[in-house]
Amino acid sequence: MNTSADSVPPLPHRIETIRAHQARGGRVAAVLPIHHPRALFRAFDILPVEVWGPPQVDATRGGAHLQPYVCSIVRNALAYLLSGGLDLADLIVVPHTCDSLQGFASILIDFIHPAPPVLPIYLPRGRRASDVAFLAEEFKSLYRQLAEITHRAPSDVELMECLHREEEADARLADLYRRRAALPQKDFYRLVRSREYLPAEKFSEIVGAALRAAPNGRSQGAPLPTPILLSGIVPEPMAVFDALDRMNAAVVADDFACCGRRLYPPGKSDDPFTRMAERLLTAPPDSTRDDAIEDRLQHLIRLTKESNAKGIVFYDVKFCEPEFFYLPALRKGLQAAGIPSVTIEIDLNDSLSQQVSTRLEAFVEMIA
Amino acid sequence: MSLVDSLPYQVPLTFGRAALRVNRWRAERAAPRSKSEHLAPPLKISPRTKELIARHYLEGRYANRHRKVAWVTSGAPVELLKALDFYVLYPENHAALCGTARAVEEIATEAEHAGYSRDVCSYARTDIGAMLSGKTPVGRLPKPDLLLACTNICQTVLFWYRVLAHHFRVPLIVIDTPFIYTEATEHAVKFVQRQLEDAIPLAERVAGKRLDERRLKETTRLSKQASELWLEIMARGKQRPAPISVFDQFIQMAPIVEMRGDAFTVDFYAAMLKEVDERIARGIGAVKDEKKRLLWDNLPIWYRLRYLGEFLAARGVAIVASTYTNAWGELAPFIDPERPLASGARTYLHPILNRGTGYKLATMQRMVAEFQLDGAILHSDRSCKPYSIGQIDQRDRLLREHNVPALLLEADHNDPRAFSEEQVANRLEAFVEMLGV
Repeated sequence: MNTSADSVPPLPHRIETIRAHQARGGRVAAVLPIHHPRALFRAFDILPVEVWGPPQVDATRGGAHLQPYVCSIVRNALAYLLSGGLDLADLIVVPHTCDSLQGFASILIDFIHPAPPVLPIYLPRGRRASDVAFLAEEFKSLYRQLAEITHRAPSDVELMECLHREEEADARLADLYRRRAALPQKDFYRLVRSREYLPAEKFSEIVGAALRAAPNGRSQGAPLPTPILLSGIVPEPMAVFDALDRMNAAVVADDFACCGRRLYPPGKSDDPFTRMAERLLTAPPDSTRDDAIEDRLQHLIRLTKESNAKGIVFYDVKFCEPEFFYLPALRKGLQAAGIPSVTIEIDLNDSLSQQVSTRLEAFVEMIA
Repeated sequence: MSLVDSLPYQVPLTFGRAALRVNRWRAERAAPRSKSEHLAPPLKISPRTKELIARHYLEGRYANRHRKVAWVTSGAPVELLKALDFYVLYPENHAALCGTARAVEEIATEAEHAGYSRDVCSYARTDIGAMLSGKTPVGRLPKPDLLLACTNICQTVLFWYRVLAHHFRVPLIVIDTPFIYTEATEHAVKFVQRQLEDAIPLAERVAGKRLDERRLKETTRLSKQASELWLEIMARGKQRPAPISVFDQFIQMAPIVEMRGDAFTVDFYAAMLKEVDERIARGIGAVKDEKKRLLWDNLPIWYRLRYLGEFLAARGVAIVASTYTNAWGELAPFIDPERPLASGARTYLHPILNRGTGYKLATMQRMVAEFQLDGAILHSDRSCKPYSIGQIDQRDRLLREHNVPALLLEADHNDPRAFSEEQVANRLEAFVEMLGV
């Protein structure tokens, strides 16, 4: 169990969760970033457990297959898989998020041949009617593959039940975001990120308990921290929150691919596949889904205003092309809107460097 | 447009075209001479290539005055736009042209100063730099009225075209082509076809005219013919000695990329094929003393084409086949001019860059066998992840399972700052020695 402040109930560890699920006869899918249909896996009694790197692994094994200009999320994932880190997984799911994850899935399928089956999912780059229709078909195709692997065939009713559980968990996630000030920021992100591996019902239960136990208002005392917004792919190393605490800065909103960009609204359709597609395609703007720069800019400005953030930190993983392309126009637009910003590049294998801390501190001092 | 209104466009264009024609005639009359004692003289068609490219950019320079302009990705379904009379510009080709003109460092720096990371594609940095600064070796680029990005070559183009759409404030059509890990699914084919159909009303609105189905079929037919001719030209590389090298192909591929769907492109490649056949009949090899034959994988290193060609030719090594140049011909069988949209969906789903790493290895193995190759150079291109990821395993398979010597060469297709000449020379020297030249 992970324990933390009094207001946050103990969080089950990832490995405990996996073992408990498997002990009950369920299967586990290792799922690469970012967007995927959790409900579909759960309908087959498969627990999706996400693999965001993980950080701080020996990445040299990944280097035997991937060039040095591939980001550390993908290199680490491969190194982790090759060193047995995903041995507990019954299948590996790779959403088509970017060119690097595309290549990752392709070399697994064609050359590395891991023991579990590898299932890629193509995510369309748009929010048009044709994109929803295609994604629903893609999920039906995934359903057929999962049925073949598990020898199960969940009905539409069962799919809808799972979908409603996920929608409920996402509603709790949204509640958590609304009351984030009540929790220490590192605990808040631990809770948010437990969605990466906890079953929806467990997540809803824990978040509900945390919010009931949380004090009304802010968790920290005076002096008032400097409010900032973090944007990027993944908040690693988590030590960044300790550093921000020391600088008396508070993350009051985020635009992380693994967090705020996955506040999926409920779907509308009565067809479970279409509903799953609708949910993914109506989430907040995301670079990896090819949203217009203006849409991302307006989203960031709105988040900044609503949260009273005084500035934005773009906290990106090195070599992340989707994020890098948007930065100049976003920063220019933010500057025009009077919102200062700074960019910081990280590698998942680095601890929080002095250089990063200094840049953060200088930025926080500037906007305070 | 009245005659008077068209004068500012027609006059410079007429004089410009005439000047280019004169330049070509002069170049054609002069006996072609090799710049290296180890290489055959340049193809006689080369002055015509230069004229075509220069004319294309000359027309672009004045295009905004009388035509609608579209900027498109190299793998985009351009036939739709050609049939609607758009002037079509390929930013990737423009970037490559900047590469051969050694202008990238200066232009890309403009983008870097604006905040674009050096870790993003050097084609994109070059064109964004040109967009922001106006710097270009072709004089001036026309502003787009429409953008068309197709994901069948990479995801990079999506982000790049979002930048263009934001800067120029013009509509962007995205044709999303789901990546093919093993086989294309029927729902992916339908998805692409639906997007092509959905793109037509917007393209028509920008063009200010309706799409003529007969015109679309004719444009598609011309694309197919040019692609078939290009494929035939490349197949001539199976001859010993190979009449043209991959370095020749890199230079001569501009029309098949940026002038698909035009009748003059078909004529051009028909003439080129004739010349290549004449070379075969006369026993002329691209490399005078061809001892070993290699495959090139991935994009060219545009700013060092001559250096690499001469370096290898001096050692009797000819690069005679390439997965990259092959990509512009291998789709020809998919194209059905009578069913432009339905066949277009399959065609534009299937470029090598939109297919799995295993398919690329199979393509390399097939080319090694068909062209009787002695080895392969895999350009690990830091600006092209979709082409490069998988190369480490592909090289290992070529070596271990097929006994084909293969070299992984680290560089960048357009940014000379990522090219270490000494390191490249050492690695090539060692590789050539290993081949037993």
